[in-house]
Amino acid sequence: MSTQATEPEPTTGASEATFSVRNLWKIFGKNADKVIGTELEHADRDRIKEETGCTVAVRDVSFDVRPGEIFVVMGLSGSGKSTLIRCLTRLIEPTSGSVELDGEDIEKASEQRLRELRRHKMAMVFQHFGLLPNRRIIDNVAYGLEVRGTPRAQRYERARQMIDMVGLAGQENAYPGELSGGMQQRVGLARALAVDPQVLLFDEPFSALDPLIRRDMQSEVIRLQRELNKTSVFITHDLQEALKLGDRIAIMRDGELVQVGTPEEVVGRPANAYVADFTSDVARTTVLTARWLIRDAYPGERTDGPITAPGTVLAEVLPMLAASIAPVRVMEGEALLGYVGRDDVLRAIAEDQLDDSEQVDTIVEETVEEIPDGAIDHGDVTSTGNGG
Amino acid sequence: MATVTEPVGASVTGPTGSGGPGGRLRGTWVQALLVVAVLIAGYWAARLMGSPAWAGGFPTGVGESFMAWLDGIYEWIVANRNDSPLFLYFFNYVSVGLGSAVVLINQFLTFLTWAGVTALGVAVSWRIAGWRVALLVLATFAVFALSGLWNEAMTTLSLIITAVFIALLFGIPLGILAGRSEGFHRGLRPVLDFMQIMPAFAYLLPFVLLFGIGNPAAAVVTAVYALPPVVRITALAIREVPKGAIEATTSLGSTSWQLLTKVQLPMAKRTILLGVNQTIMLAVSMVVIASVIGAGGLGDAIYQALAKINVGQAFQAGLAIVMLAIAMDRVTGAVGHGAHTPDIPRRYRLPLWGGLLALVILVTVVGRLFDLGGWPREASLDIADPVNTLYEVIQSSIGTFTAMLGTWTLNWVLSPLSALLTGSPWWLVVLVAAALGWIFAGGRAAIVCGAAFVVIGLLGVWDNAMDTLSQVLVASVVTIALGVVGGVLMSRSDVLAAIARPILDAMQTLPPFVYLIPAVALFTIGRVPALVAAVIFALPPVVRLVNDGIRGVSAGTIEAAVSQGSTKWQLLTKVELPMARGSLLLAINQGIILVLSMVVMGALVGAGSLGFDVVFGLSQNQLGLGLASGLAIVCLGLFLDRLTQGRRAPRA
Repeated sequence: MSTQATEPEPTTGASEATFSVRNLWKIFGKNADKVIGTELEHADRDRIKEETGCTVAVRDVSFDVRPGEIFVVMGLSGSGKSTLIRCLTRLIEPTSGSVELDGEDIEKASEQRLRELRRHKMAMVFQHFGLLPNRRIIDNVAYGLEVRGTPRAQRYERARQMIDMVGLAGQENAYPGELSGGMQQRVGLARALAVDPQVLLFDEPFSALDPLIRRDMQSEVIRLQRELNKTSVFITHDLQEALKLGDRIAIMRDGELVQVGTPEEVVGRPANAYVADFTSDVARTTVLTARWLIRDAYPGERTDGPITAPGTVLAEVLPMLAASIAPVRVMEGEALLGYVGRDDVLRAIAEDQLDDSEQVDTIVEETVEEIPDGAIDHGDVTSTGNGG
Repeated sequence: MATVTEPVGASVTGPTGSGGPGGRLRGTWVQALLVVAVLIAGYWAARLMGSPAWAGGFPTGVGESFMAWLDGIYEWIVANRNDSPLFLYFFNYVSVGLGSAVVLINQFLTFLTWAGVTALGVAVSWRIAGWRVALLVLATFAVFALSGLWNEAMTTLSLIITAVFIALLFGIPLGILAGRSEGFHRGLRPVLDFMQIMPAFAYLLPFVLLFGIGNPAAAVVTAVYALPPVVRITALAIREVPKGAIEATTSLGSTSWQLLTKVQLPMAKRTILLGVNQTIMLAVSMVVIASVIGAGGLGDAIYQALAKINVGQAFQAGLAIVMLAIAMDRVTGAVGHGAHTPDIPRRYRLPLWGGLLALVILVTVVGRLFDLGGWPREASLDIADPVNTLYEVIQSSIGTFTAMLGTWTLNWVLSPLSALLTGSPWWLVVLVAAALGWIFAGGRAAIVCGAAFVVIGLLGVWDNAMDTLSQVLVASVVTIALGVVGGVLMSRSDVLAAIARPILDAMQTLPPFVYLIPAVALFTIGRVPALVAAVIFALPPVVRLVNDGIRGVSAGTIEAAVSQGSTKWQLLTKVELPMARGSLLLAINQGIILVLSMVVMGALVGAGSLGFDVVFGLSQNQLGLGLASGLAIVCLGLFLDRLTQGRRAPRA
């Protein structure tokens, strides 16, 4: 049943990846080592629990995080995603497997080296903020610099910059208890950014916030990501959040990665029924882009339709098609990638609404048979796009 | 020991029923009554048969040789105190060091003169606890001065300061270790549990053995007695630091030391100060008790007055201690919660402290210029005589009544019970103890309970221990009955609760020693006043726990019960009391442990038994007897605690 879509893209060599995770396991309980390498390794969670008393939290997970991307790990509670992110910075010691950060195996790092990495290379933002209530905001933000020995004047200056950057200017001397949840998480963000890490780890940072504030904070993360060019690993249980933030999304279930791909891939080509079910409520027209549906022109079709970029979501392609009989031309710069016609978009919408692409296929075929002359000539193009 | 199956078997096959917790509880009580009936039957059987050899008290041979052995140790210590390297290089140094610390602090307080001490106390308490508490502190010093007990009060203060310093010096690091290491915590907890159920009186003798009689032994015994809360609460405070904060700061690369100093200690500070407050309060109560082993000060004043049955004098010193305890509690409590601390802007804080210091120095200089020292005894108000007059009035008006009540209690309750316990065959009593342990708390407790009684017998103090136990049982029943009624009444009426709460608070901060004074005033001396003191002493926590338990029942549940048409009585008996069961059990446990610690202290007012042996052993250098009695008190404590802890999982 496990559709292991965990194999990293072949184009990305390990040296190019910021994080390179291989065969990571985390099993809680005594005798955890006795599970890996035995036939139990493939047994399901409940059986392992029954036979050894151990809980498998992360099971044989491998993936790469590319420099500069936001890599989202999404799963329901209990899927092991929080354990996974803690293994990346060894707040939880993995049972086996390797995590490489820029080619250095974190799991093999000494206590000292691990501290160095935590102080300089990666910083984490937590669901419940983890602020120190007895310290002022500025001292919270400066904490990472303080523990690595930065002189006071210097760390305050840096902290002040960060506080400004997350939009909390003027709150330096307040205490965390005096701020709202959203503001506290901005402090958490500023604290992580203050050490100028290469990688940011987010553990469901916005789950405890109101929906409106959550949206603000998501935009804030996207803005900072663009401005500061960090690499991020972002944990969430909210699919909308994953789709909004993720350059790529890994879907986790029962400790395993079920699928890794772009938002479009996850929504447009779910790896199995679980992912399909999971993504069924997503309005495809807001996730799928023109790139997803491009095809060649049918014989005799007009090719002078409106022009759009491949990254345009279908929802925005729709009005163009409303205005034009000819299919939309998808162009990347000067290059023509292909066409998207009314039929393609309607079909995508139909699949979205009916939740069943086979049923759509059947209806289309029956209709074509019934009215052979009036039907659209699909030529050779039957599959939907190539996924980019 | 084939007979062991008899009571135990009865408990298993008894009418346990398969009903809810109520049914099981009723079954438990039926079984317990059956066991008691067996004991009474055994007593009468033994009596009617003319007390044959197999049905007597515990054979005393082992106990006597044990005491002789202890006496031998004591003699060895006395003989070798100045030769043995252990004493020469350790205990004697500690003893001298502590003695000088107490003297030094006392000299410093004398140097400040009464004016300087008062200025210092008032200034500090104003700064950390606000002007109300400062006034209270001023009043306390006034009581010290006017009661003519200024010097005694300063000695007591010096002892408290020394003892608390030692307790914190060891307690806070221990607590930090226990807070950070699960293994250490697991090892330490049973020791702390044990220390907390040990009656204060049982602590005294071992330290006399090591340090001799006097202030050093008093300081150490006080420190040891006061140690558990600060260790426990520090450990708890460190543990309670939110995991998120630890995780976040670890993820930023904190070292273990940075984690402790920058995260755990600052976040735990408030709670730790709460533990310090409790430790100080325990030190206050123990320093008074330590007068029995030669600590000077206010405790000694009470001790002397009680020995002479001079209620007036005892009252005077008692008042000083009460004021001291309340003031100490308010000041150190305020450090913890900071509720009344004057709100002073950051930049003025240091200059303010400087100003206060300057004020104290100025007052001291003036004091020394006028050659003041301790408050002169001549300039005191003597309230001892009027109180004695009042005491005589009370005695003449209700004395006959209290005497009657006392005699009745003695003849119809205490003596029969004591006779039952001492007159029954010892092995039957041991079996009954084990059976009760089994019924109320399960197999392991049964072993502990039985073993505790066997050890008491082996120690050679069986009769006295049974007598003490009878006093404890009677006082406990009265305490629990009054406490439950009081707690229920308090939970019914918010007005009553508002009035009672501060009184109970104050009563709980007082050293147990002072409760002997009103008891003596009402019932003169003997076993009955000891019981009365025990009841007064143990009542406040019981009332509080019952009240808190009932008030803790969720409003939703009550609403549901009312909506189904419960009367108030039904509400109380079917919903509130059953749901407050945890608090009730805790109240019973606490009540009994407190009663025990007070009953043995009752020896000072003529209650006899184990407590008397401790005091007698001390005063007559019969350390063997004293230590054996102390250990027997510990065994009784262990038995009573295990019996009333219920079936909750062992504290591991």
